[in-house]
Amino acid sequence: MSTRNVSVRFPVGRGRVLTAVDDVSIEIRRGETFGLIGESGSGKSTIGRAIVCLERPSEGTILHDGRDPHALRASELRRHRRQYQIIFQDPNAALDPRMTILKSIREPLDVAGEGSRADRDQRARDLMNRVGLGEGFADLYPHQLSGGQKQRACIARALTVRPSLIVCDEAVAALDVSIQADILNLLAELQQEFGLTYLFITHNIGVVEHISDTIAVMYLGQIIEIAPADRLAEHFLHPYTQALLSAEPVALPSGMRPDHRIVLEGELPSPMDPPSGCRFRTRCRFATGICAAEAPKLRELAPGHRTACHHAETFRLDPNLKEGSQ
Amino acid sequence: MASTPDITPQGATASVLSWLRRDLRAALCLGYLLALVIASVAAPLIAQHSPIEQSMDMLAPPSGAHWLGTDDLGRDVFARMVYGAPMSLYASMVAVGVGLALGLPTGMLAGYLGGRVDTVISRIIDTLLAFPGIILAVAVTGALGIGLTNAMIAVGIVFAPNIARLIRIQTIVVKNELYVDAARSFGMPVRGIILRHIVPNAIQPIIVQVTVMLAGALLAEASLSFLGLGVQPPWPSWGQMLARGYTYMEIAPEQMYAPGIAILLTALAYNGLGESLRTRLDPTSRSRR
Amino acid sequence: MNMQLVRFLGWRAVQVLPVLAMATLAIFGLIQLVPGDPAATIAGEYATAENIEAIRRDLGLDRPLWEQYGTWLWNALQGDLSNSLLTGLPVLDEVARRLPPTLFIAVFALLISICIGVPLGILAATRADSALDRFVTSVASLGVAVPNFWLGMIFVSIFALGFGWFPTTGARPISEDFWGAVHHAALPAATLATAGIAEIARQLRSSLIEVLQSQYVRTLRAKGLSPARILWKHGLRNAALTLLTVIGLVFNHTLGATVATEAVFAIPGAGSMIVNAAINKDFPVLQGAVFVLVLIVISMNLIIDLLYTVLDPRVKKD
Repeated sequence: MSTRNVSVRFPVGRGRVLTAVDDVSIEIRRGETFGLIGESGSGKSTIGRAIVCLERPSEGTILHDGRDPHALRASELRRHRRQYQIIFQDPNAALDPRMTILKSIREPLDVAGEGSRADRDQRARDLMNRVGLGEGFADLYPHQLSGGQKQRACIARALTVRPSLIVCDEAVAALDVSIQADILNLLAELQQEFGLTYLFITHNIGVVEHISDTIAVMYLGQIIEIAPADRLAEHFLHPYTQALLSAEPVALPSGMRPDHRIVLEGELPSPMDPPSGCRFRTRCRFATGICAAEAPKLRELAPGHRTACHHAETFRLDPNLKEGSQ
Repeated sequence: MASTPDITPQGATASVLSWLRRDLRAALCLGYLLALVIASVAAPLIAQHSPIEQSMDMLAPPSGAHWLGTDDLGRDVFARMVYGAPMSLYASMVAVGVGLALGLPTGMLAGYLGGRVDTVISRIIDTLLAFPGIILAVAVTGALGIGLTNAMIAVGIVFAPNIARLIRIQTIVVKNELYVDAARSFGMPVRGIILRHIVPNAIQPIIVQVTVMLAGALLAEASLSFLGLGVQPPWPSWGQMLARGYTYMEIAPEQMYAPGIAILLTALAYNGLGESLRTRLDPTSRSRR
Repeated sequence: MNMQLVRFLGWRAVQVLPVLAMATLAIFGLIQLVPGDPAATIAGEYATAENIEAIRRDLGLDRPLWEQYGTWLWNALQGDLSNSLLTGLPVLDEVARRLPPTLFIAVFALLISICIGVPLGILAATRADSALDRFVTSVASLGVAVPNFWLGMIFVSIFALGFGWFPTTGARPISEDFWGAVHHAALPAATLATAGIAEIARQLRSSLIEVLQSQYVRTLRAKGLSPARILWKHGLRNAALTLLTVIGLVFNHTLGATVATEAVFAIPGAGSMIVNAAINKDFPVLQGAVFVLVLIVISMNLIIDLLYTVLDPRVKKD
């Protein structure tokens, strides 16, 4: 799965355009977990929605196994897209309030028209058991379930169509912390069992760093750093990544933890009118003239580690800067 | 797991009953309308006279034989009232049915598809709303040909833009729900999304609107029949009875009361039911219980 | 005059054009609703083939649809609404003769609706949930459920036949005898006004209650402003916009309701003209009269839109 120079723009009235995703190219390998991190408004959800064809790229192409799904005919696209599922942040809004849990979970199978009604019922019930939601919930309505139970139902529903990739769009952010771990463990088990590929979208680096193979950091619609997960935590090269890591309250091994929190100053700029040059410069402690004049490109500074920062090299060489000791 | 029982089929009946017990107005309105339906079905059993049989006993005052007297052709007014009830019910149903049949798909399509389709349909809706309703209904009846069904189709055409406007807004709200995105992501065709997700979730405010429109249709039927564009003689309708009664107002003023009161009560019952439904379906008022 | 405002007003006027185009299309399209052959239907049961052919030619029904519409619109814009099939007289003259009594009772009714509906709405809102409020609310729900023309009959039987205060039927030309016209129009206007009073009182009440219960007004009250001052300075200014919208709606309804009211009071107005044209299938008259009434409603909506901008400076920036 990959995206090639994908941009997604939305008209926001009176001829103005919001560029939610700007020229993003990523590649997700089969079977891996790809973490995508960013603040709200960074366009991370939009790219996730574009990957499962809920948004159409304004420019660039989405490639599913080398094929552009938008080049397919409507009926082919409907069949094809079943392999690419999404789990949303708000499980409550993702289930039709007027359908029983069983009906919601069975619905993808009804659409696909696979097997007899009894077969479909059975498969839905099997999956309910598999995700840890007993069959007793089958005839209940969403408002009778807790958030975690609803999210399990959504996961079961996504699995019915045997997808190869699942986008988890802040899939645990709305849940209680105690339940978050359960759901994350469930997702990890399911990945083993079904050979799934995950795109894990989150604002919370702690959620993804243990389960991801690759992590990309997004800021105002652009990828600013991308690296193997084990490398990023220690060898991050972008000031924004540093700020994200330092804001993370979850205990890191002391060697990785910055001594001081770096609090980002100022608001996230409007994506309708992003800053010139490097988009992060308005909140960056290291910004210089070149940052305003020229947009930094993603440069490969170590194997598999790419960063879009003019000062990445100096940043790497000066450990004091990294420790945030100033 | 707590389970609220008001969703299962048996529970639905029970919840309607408990609602009616709590809401006297709803119970009264529903009771009245039910009685009207029964009267319509059992008209020959209730009225001892034929509604169209003439006699020499003209404009007679109420008596034991003729409970509400007789009209200018010696026909029993009570019988005509009873036989007028199904006309009124039928008229309201036709008008609202036509309004829904035209308005629902149009408004839903506009709301779901958005873009240029929405712009064009919204403009058409705005234009039709600028027509004074009854006048448009009269003009359309003139074109379709005079008669109750045509007149009510005309009224339905007048209702359609109102329904379309309402359902369009609801559709826009529902189509942005995540469960619609989920349905799209597993390849549900547009038709399925509209039928399985959008219709059931967007229809609720329409139910309230429908009861209010039934009242509007009833009043429109009365007006059009009064003007001679609706029910054609010799068959009775309340509006048409008023037209005849009005001609003989100076001799037999009591002729105008029964049909007028019947129309008023029926319209009140529809409106009252709508008002009660609105309070019941409103989530903010429901949570207080 | 403010340049921005002028440009805005111009823009609003331009926006009316598509509505107007669509309205004329709908009115023209009426004849397409006639089942079967319109010419044969119009000619009636006993028409000969030549009669039908003549009607087809006269109405231009033998020409392509767009050409028919173009001709009809072009003539209408030049003030030629064709001739009545029944009398052969120009439709525009007939409409011009019939319109004044209709507009007179409609405007008269609108004035009564505002003069009674507004105070009732304010009273009910300031005394929310009192006996008076409940009374106004129930009268208002009665007002929207009562068949208007029936109320007219009852008015006639009480005030015209019973007390003899008003003439039962007919109308006087305003230009010749203004007070006579008012006297004749009083009962029909009162009949029409009942629905308007109910609508205005209801809507004004709920919008005022919303304003008066807002955080903002509660703050003012906490600051010690007198309730009367709050009502006049803040409540009514905010409710004025609702009122304006309701007035537009009420005018539209009132104009429509004249159809039945004119029949009750035997007023030779545009409403009864439309009814007769519908019964007689006199399509040029039907289309012409509806066209003129729709023009009036659209102009009224435009005026209300403009008043909106004067009352609410926020709208201008949009």
